[in-house]
Order: sequence, then C-alpha cells, then structure tokens
Amino acid sequence: MFAYLVRRLALMLVTLFGISVIVFVLLRIVPGNIVDILFDAAGFVDPTDKANLEKELGLSDPIVVQYFKWIGGLLQGDLGYSYVSEKPALQEILPRIPITAKLAGLALLFSASIGIPLGVISAVHQGTKLDYTLRVISLSGLSLPSFWLGLLILMASVSMFGAMPIFNPNPRMWTEAFAIYAVPAMAVGFRSAALTMRITRSSMLEILRQDYIRTARAKGASEASVNYHHALKNAVLPVITVIGIEAAFLIGGLIVTETVFNIPGIARFLVEALRWRDYPIVQNLVMFIAVVVVTANFIVDMLYAAIDPRIRYGD
Amino acid sequence: MRSVQALAVAILAMLTAYDPTLAAEPKPGGIFRIYHRDSPGSASIHEGATYSLNVPFMPIFNNLVLYDQHKAQNSLDTIVPELAQSWAWSGDGKKLTFKLRNDVKWHDGKPFTAADVKCTFDMLMGKSQQKFRQNPRKSWYDQVEDVTANGDYEASFNLKRPQPSLLALLASGYTPIYPCHVSPGDMRTKPVGTGPFKFVEFKANESIKLTKNPDYWKKGLPYLDGIEFTIITNRSTAVLGFISGKFDMTFPTEVTIPLLKDVKAQAPNAVCVLEPNNVSTNIIVNSSNPPFDNIDVRRALALALDRKAFIQIQFEGQADIGGTMQPGPAGLWAMPKEMLETIPGYGPDIEKNRDEARKLMQKAGFGPDKRLAIKIATRNIPIYRDPAIVLIDQIKSIYIDAELDVVDTAQWFPKVARKDYSLGLNLTGNAVDDPDQSFYENYACGSERNYTGYCNREIEKLFDQQSAEPDLNKRKKLVWEIDKKLQEDVARPIIFHSRSGTCWQPYVKNITIMSNSSYNGFRYEDVWLDK
Amino acid sequence: MTAVNFDNELRRAGANATHGWRRLAFLARRYVLGTFGLIIMVLFVWTALSADLISRYDPLTVDSAHRLAPPSWQHWLGTDSFGRDVWARIIHGARISLAVGIGSTALGATLGVIVGLVSGYLSGWVDLVFQRITDILQSLPLLVLALVMTAALGPSLPNVIIAIAIPLIPTVSRVIRANTLALREQPFVEAAKSIGMSETRIAIRHVLPNTLAPLIVLATAQLGSTILTEASLSFLGLGIPEPYPSWGRMLSESAAEYVRTAPWLVIFPGVAISLAVFGTNLFGDALRDILDPRQRG
Repeated sequence: MFAYLVRRLALMLVTLFGISVIVFVLLRIVPGNIVDILFDAAGFVDPTDKANLEKELGLSDPIVVQYFKWIGGLLQGDLGYSYVSEKPALQEILPRIPITAKLAGLALLFSASIGIPLGVISAVHQGTKLDYTLRVISLSGLSLPSFWLGLLILMASVSMFGAMPIFNPNPRMWTEAFAIYAVPAMAVGFRSAALTMRITRSSMLEILRQDYIRTARAKGASEASVNYHHALKNAVLPVITVIGIEAAFLIGGLIVTETVFNIPGIARFLVEALRWRDYPIVQNLVMFIAVVVVTANFIVDMLYAAIDPRIRYGD
Repeated sequence: MRSVQALAVAILAMLTAYDPTLAAEPKPGGIFRIYHRDSPGSASIHEGATYSLNVPFMPIFNNLVLYDQHKAQNSLDTIVPELAQSWAWSGDGKKLTFKLRNDVKWHDGKPFTAADVKCTFDMLMGKSQQKFRQNPRKSWYDQVEDVTANGDYEASFNLKRPQPSLLALLASGYTPIYPCHVSPGDMRTKPVGTGPFKFVEFKANESIKLTKNPDYWKKGLPYLDGIEFTIITNRSTAVLGFISGKFDMTFPTEVTIPLLKDVKAQAPNAVCVLEPNNVSTNIIVNSSNPPFDNIDVRRALALALDRKAFIQIQFEGQADIGGTMQPGPAGLWAMPKEMLETIPGYGPDIEKNRDEARKLMQKAGFGPDKRLAIKIATRNIPIYRDPAIVLIDQIKSIYIDAELDVVDTAQWFPKVARKDYSLGLNLTGNAVDDPDQSFYENYACGSERNYTGYCNREIEKLFDQQSAEPDLNKRKKLVWEIDKKLQEDVARPIIFHSRSGTCWQPYVKNITIMSNSSYNGFRYEDVWLDK
Repeated sequence: MTAVNFDNELRRAGANATHGWRRLAFLARRYVLGTFGLIIMVLFVWTALSADLISRYDPLTVDSAHRLAPPSWQHWLGTDSFGRDVWARIIHGARISLAVGIGSTALGATLGVIVGLVSGYLSGWVDLVFQRITDILQSLPLLVLALVMTAALGPSLPNVIIAIAIPLIPTVSRVIRANTLALREQPFVEAAKSIGMSETRIAIRHVLPNTLAPLIVLATAQLGSTILTEASLSFLGLGIPEPYPSWGRMLSESAAEYVRTAPWLVIFPGVAISLAVFGTNLFGDALRDILDPRQRG
C-alpha cells in the first residue's frame, strides 16, 4: 500500500514536470510576446526601448535559463510577476480561484443530482419509452455547445425578466448570488449531467446482470430493494470515476461559460492572459489546472481502491 | 371633466417649464457606475495609446490647460486653464510661459510645483534619468527645445520654431502632469495625481475604482463620491447591463448603431448621443513592393472604393466621408465638399470610377483573365475585420481577389513594421483635431507611427509651413491643399470617419461627449447624479 | 477478444437475414436512433460536399442593401450584418466542421494507434516513455491544450486540426495498448511467431485488424467532441479566421452585438452545431452497441 502510494506520487511529479516543460516550450513558440503587444498599443517601436523592456522582463535570457528561473521560483512559492499588471502572479490568481471553484462545484453538484437519479431510472426501465426519452435527452446534452446554451439562457432571461445576471463580487441578496453562480453552473453542468446519466445507466445495467443480484432476487428481495439498494451501491464506483474525469473537462466548459457570462474566474483569465502573452500568468495557471486534474485523478483512484476490495494496490 | 383637462394642461405646462439641468442645484454624492470595454494594460496615460486607458484614469489627473469639458467641439478657443492659471506666448512665438497655481497638492499630500511640470515633459522628451517603458507621443514635442521652471510657480516651453498647435496638444487628455516623486513603474500600477478623483484599485479584467479627492483644489468639487468601472468585454452583455439599470453610463463612444437602437427600444428614457470621434478607417498600402509600387494600381484601388456602402454596412449610413482631417461640421480642418469630390475615387458615380479603375488595372497588366491575388492584413478585432470584409468584396470588381489575413494583436505591429503585407486595413485615432498631430504622426518621413513609410519631402515642407503659420485662415487653405495631395498620392486611402454612441441614464448630469476627439472629455469633476 | 463477427451478432440479435439489404433493413429497425443519427450524418456530409449546389448565394458576398434581414423566402435563415446569406454560410460552414471533425479525428486516431501499438507491442522503456506522455496529455483539459496550441501555431485550418488532434491521442492509444497487450497472449499470435513471421508484420497483419472495432467506436465518439472543440475555439476567436464561415465564429460575432436585434444569427449556427454533434453521437451510440456488445445497454 505504502509503496504503491509512493509510486503514484512519483509518477504524478513526473507528469507535472512534463507538463511544465510542454507549456513552457509551447508558449515560447507562440509568435509575438508581451513587448510586441505593449508597443502595438503604443503604436510604434523604438528598438532600444523594446530591447530594454525585453531584458527587464527576462525575455532575452536563453530559454533554458528562463525555464529554471520559473521552476526555481515556483518551488519557493514565488510565481513571478504578471507582465501586464506588474503585480505578483499569485496575487492575481488566488482571488479568482474561489469564483471558479464555486462554479465548478455547483456544476458538479448539479450534474450528480440530475445525472445519477435519471441514470438509475433509465437503467431500471431499460427498453421502455421512458428509457428512450431519457437517452435522447442525455445525448442532446452532450451535443449542445455550452456557450450556446449559455447564450440561449441569457436571451431567455432578458426576454422574460428584462434583465440578466451580471457578475458582482459582493452580491447583496442570496437571490442575486444564486443568479450569478447557479445559472452559469447549469449551463456548464448540463453536459456533465448528461454524461453522468449515461455512465450511471450503463454501470447499473452491468451490475443488474451480475450473479449476486440474481442471487438477491432469487432470495426473494423485492424488486425495488434490489434495484436501488444493491445495484446503486455498486454502481457508484464508475460514477465517481466519471465525476473525477469531468472535473478536468469542466475547466474547458468553464472557459467559454465564464466568457459568455463575464465571470472573472481563472478560466477566462487564462484566455485573457494568453491573448496578452502574459507568460507568468499562463504558465502558472496551466500548472494549477494540471495539479487539480492530477490530484483529482489520484483521489478518484484511491477512492476506487478503498471502495472496491477487488482492486489491488498493484498496477 | 373640464377640471381634469385643466389639470392636465397645468401639469404639461409645469413639465415643459421644468428643465432639470438649469433649475436643479447639483446634488453631491453617489457612485458613478460605468462599464468598461476591456482591460487596459496599465494605469499610466503617458505610456498608453488607447482611450481604454484614458477614460478611467483621466479623472485622477490635471493638465496645465484643458479643453473646456462642456464644449463638444475642441479648438484653440475652447482651451481653459487648469493647473496653469494663465499662459502667454512670447512675441516671436517661440516661448510659451505658464503661471501655475500655488494651492495644489498631490494625492499623497506633497505640494505641486513647476518642477513637476518640468519632470513630466523631460520624461516625455526622453531627457530624464527615469524612463517610460514606452513613450508613444514623444514626437509631439519635437519642436520643443526644453522646458524650464522659473521658481516654483512658473514654467516655460522654449521652442525651436513657432508652433501655435503646441497648446492644442497640451490641452489633450493625453497630456496630464505627473508627479516628480513617483516612479513611472508606480504610475503604471497605482497612479498619483492632483485631479478630482483618487486611484483606489485596478483589478485586471474585473474593475477599476476611483474615489473622491476631498482636498481637490477646486473647492466644492467633485460632486461624485467615486467612479466605478466594471470591465465587460462582451458588448451585448455590457449594453444589457446598462439597459437593466446596473450602470449609469455606457463606456463612452463605444456603443455601435445596432446596439444604440437596442438601447432606445429597451430604455426609452436613456439619453443617447451619436458623435464623430475623429477615428478614420483607412487602407495602409505597401508601396515599396509590387504590385502597389505601381501608382496606377494604387489609383485603381482608390477608384474602386464605394465609401457609401462601407458606411451603410457598418453604420447604417451614419458616418462621414472625408480626407485625412475629420470632416465637418464637427471637424475644424476638413476641406470643402466641392474640393473633396475632385479627388479620384470621391466622385459620386461609382460605376464610372470603377470603369476607370479597370482601365488602370489593364494598363498595369491585369484583367478578367489575369486577376491579381493579394492578402489583406488586419487585426483580429471586429472594427478592423468588418471593413476588411467589405473591402475584399468591393475590389473584386477591379480584378483583385483578396484573402483576409487576420493577425493577432501581438503580431500586427511587427508584421506591418516588417512590411510583410500588401494592403492592410487600419484605424487611426487622432488625439486632437489638429493638422500637426495628424500630419507629422502619420505622414512625415521617419515618424514612428508612419506605418506605411510614406515619404514625400515636398509635402513635408508644406507640413512645416502650415505648422508655423499664425493666420488661421491661411493655415486652413494650406491644410486643405496638403490633405488633397495626400489622397491623390494614395498614401493611405481614407475610407470613412466613424461615429459612435454613448448613452447615460437621465439622472446623470453634466456629461458632454466631444465631437472631434475621443481622448479629451473624461475629467468628470462636475458630473452629478440627480437621484 | 473483440473481433467483429457481424453474422454472429445479427443472429444473436434474432435476425433471420442473410442478404445485404435485408441485414441493413433489420439493423435500421433495431437501431432506430442510430439510423436517425446516420441520416443526420449523411445529410451533413452531403451538405458539406454540395454546398455550392444547394445555396443560391455565395457565403462571402457582401450585400449592403439587405443587411440583417430576418428569415424570409429570399433568405431562408436571414442575413448577417454584412448582408451575407446565413443559410449559405451555415452550409458552407459544414465543410469546415466536417474537415476539422474528420481531419482531427483521423489524425488523432492514426497517431494514437501508432503510439498504442508500439507501446503495447514493444513494452519496456518505450512503453514507459509513451505512457508518461499520454499521462501528460491527459492531465490537461482538451480545450486548454487546444487553446495554447492554436495560439502557438496560429489560426488556420490545418493548425486547428492539429491542435485538436493531439489531445485525442491518449484516449486512443490507451485503448489500443490495452488491446494489444491482450492480443499478444492470443494463440494465433504465438502461432504466427512460431512460423517465423516478423514482429512488424504480426503487428500490422494480426494485431491491428483486431483492434479495429474499439477504434471505430472511439473515433465516432470523438468526432462529435472535435466538432464542439472547434466551435469553442472559434467562439473564443482562436479558430478558423474570417471570412470563412465557421459555425463557432458566426456565433461569437453575433453574440457580441445581435443577441436581441437579430436572434436568428444566434439561433441557427447553434442549431447547426448541435444537430451535427447530435447525429454523430446517436450514430456512435448505435455503433458501439453493435460492435462492442459488452457495453450494450
């Protein structure tokens, strides 16, 4: 068990190292840098000014040196300074995390509370019209682009209420807070709900066919008890996996949704920072996202192993 | 029945007699909420060249002199004192002296003196130890020999030659006075000024907050307790926020015509104005490489333009046609219509123009069977991209098949500087409606912002001649002549001059939107909210 | 073992059909939704291929006199702010979605197969290295990776295809690797080895064909998500540049300005994206049921 943990953690570090290299190199391939953008805004380039600024920001160092400066700082908790705001990157990133975390959490909550029950219902009523309808709905959930869904929600909100949720960091009433977070969360969570439902359904079906369920039925357990007690308990496993994986995919959905709803979270910040070629922000944000995803996977694996005795702590 | 009618008449009479702007005493207090179109790169006006930066930070500062904030048309006659109590030109027109106020304090409590004036302009001229990261308007002071402080409350500008327009440049929102004792780096992140509002915070992509300066040297001002800008990049979301009352004003001169209609339909009480903003949409032509090194091909291009169609598509007809200088009546220096229409491509008969253009193209070796394939470079921003799409469609008629080459902001300027384009769709915003600013910046040989590298020594002589000319009418004639020549040379064909909308809630008082610049009207010291 | 045997499958499903057409008819009856999906996909492909024939208008021609026209007989889905016909733009946009969808799925699958086969077949340190690379690619959300990649490569059709294809590699290579590992132990591979067949030949002749079924299932499932990713990238302004009619870009332009004044500009491109993805999802579902019975619901 302990050896397995150490091995997993070591692999995580290797993965994170790889990501840091890839992101770093990719960013340096991106044509144009912050200096170009600043000077573009100013409308002309004085080559000496430009060279000075590149030097000041450390952009004229060899790429390897730049990389080790970054990693060295990162290991000491120093994320560097944003090129644009000239504030510490940490100070720029930290306050945005809770916003995105709230959204993601709500979206996952939404997807689990809709997806799991519907998946179970669909599986129990396999082959009926109800099952069919639910399956079509879930597939459509996977087909709607979340930004379009967001736009439709906005359009509907304006035509019905004449107003729309606009982000406000200090909502005055709970209704305002609800509108600010829950509406976008539903727009992103719709897809995850659909996915959760599909996975719940198929793992339920698989388990309903298993021997011990047959045994339970043969023993005279009532149909409802079999379905909801025995089966659901075992179907929870794969569902946890999905939610773990979705946590990563959610970030993608959040990028567009935060853009549509104008929410100053980290996902939209990433796009903005990329547009400004604000390397310290982009690098650290991508690393942060990677850490979240890798940790989520790790926790899911651990949970998996803890819940299901059939899984050994091997490979 | 009769009494009801009488009552109604009485009420009507009262309503018409009641003009709140005249009758009401300004009410102090309240936070002025505006949405902002995007996140400016920094807070330092001198280091920026976009009004995204000017609008939120102009209220922090004062100039020596400033355009009257309540006269829409900026001109030399509307300049009023600010930190300078008065000013005087020397007899030879080569020395401009300002008498300064002695009761002004910086937001951090230090007194304002002539040394700050000298510091500011030394830095702008690149003479001081401390340097701006970038200094986009350095060329404004090319004619200034030096700036001297005579004691604590007098400063003089010594010129190399007379330049009456210097005062116009000093009155722009782009020319605030910076404190000596604050570094350029600090001015980018937490600016200190003498103005009616103090800087509170700037959260990138989120908000900018200013608060009232209680010790403002203009007693009793400002009326507002503060100003808050919420950054919303999606225009539609932003305008909806205004309609639903979450904002007191839209971002100034940013509302497009379709959205303006939307506002009028949804918020009929809102006050909206549509004003020219002295921004021209133009084509930059790479005349150092084929095919546009050939003046015939350039002329053909100029002849192929259907300017009205551009305006119809982007502005539903509500924009102006002109040369380099902003068209009248809002523009001060535009040539008369009769003169404009003699320039090739400005004539009303588009088909006739295009026939002529096709002949020129054939002369240059192109035709229906040998079409010219080019790329049109432009930035990845709708106000750039949209006219480029129309342009591509229009020049199909003169045997040119163009493809759009959309360039990321980070690569646009380097690409243009490398001359790695044949045609580019460009926007030129003019800080002040003044020929010196516009000609020297965009057309003088070797000027940093002369993207196309256009260089014509003869015309340049005329630039100097008009700049030093003290007689306004003579200067106007010279300017017209220069503008016409620039268009005939197809140096940088001007397609149109845009207009843009601003809306505010009816209770917002004392807002004036400038009609020949979009950089100078945002001090907001006497704005108040009638709530 | 996942080798496909259609006849067996059909018999199991209770079909009494031997002839090609009847078999198809049976499948269509049994998988109504899948058939529906297939029809959508065929329509989608046909639209993309014959876009010039279906529309009376050129998708790029600007018409200042008919801007923002609502849907009518003249312009079925209305016109945009340039007076360009929305229907023409949507059906031409199908080409881009199709090119990106098929292009990046095919590229991703091919690279994934190579990585998976090599990794599963050679094992050892090669496997280890490939495994770590897959780990890395899987630890970044698809859109984040694609976003950084399009920014790095620049916005153009081939670059968008590459940027979307690369994040697809790990899913494919994982499945192929697992399959290869299992297949290597199979008696027929042992037999091939014993008669002196080269490793490469075994890999290509015997192992590869037997991993086709899961590959097809996976690829169909990914087709939909690639179309969605392209739309998201374009929506964020990093996809295929104007003036080419990409659905995502059509949405991002109109969303900024015309949500209320010209809702048809927001609704129709979104419907097009959803419908295309919905079709591939329906079809992919049915295909999975047929080819991969263990997953059958």
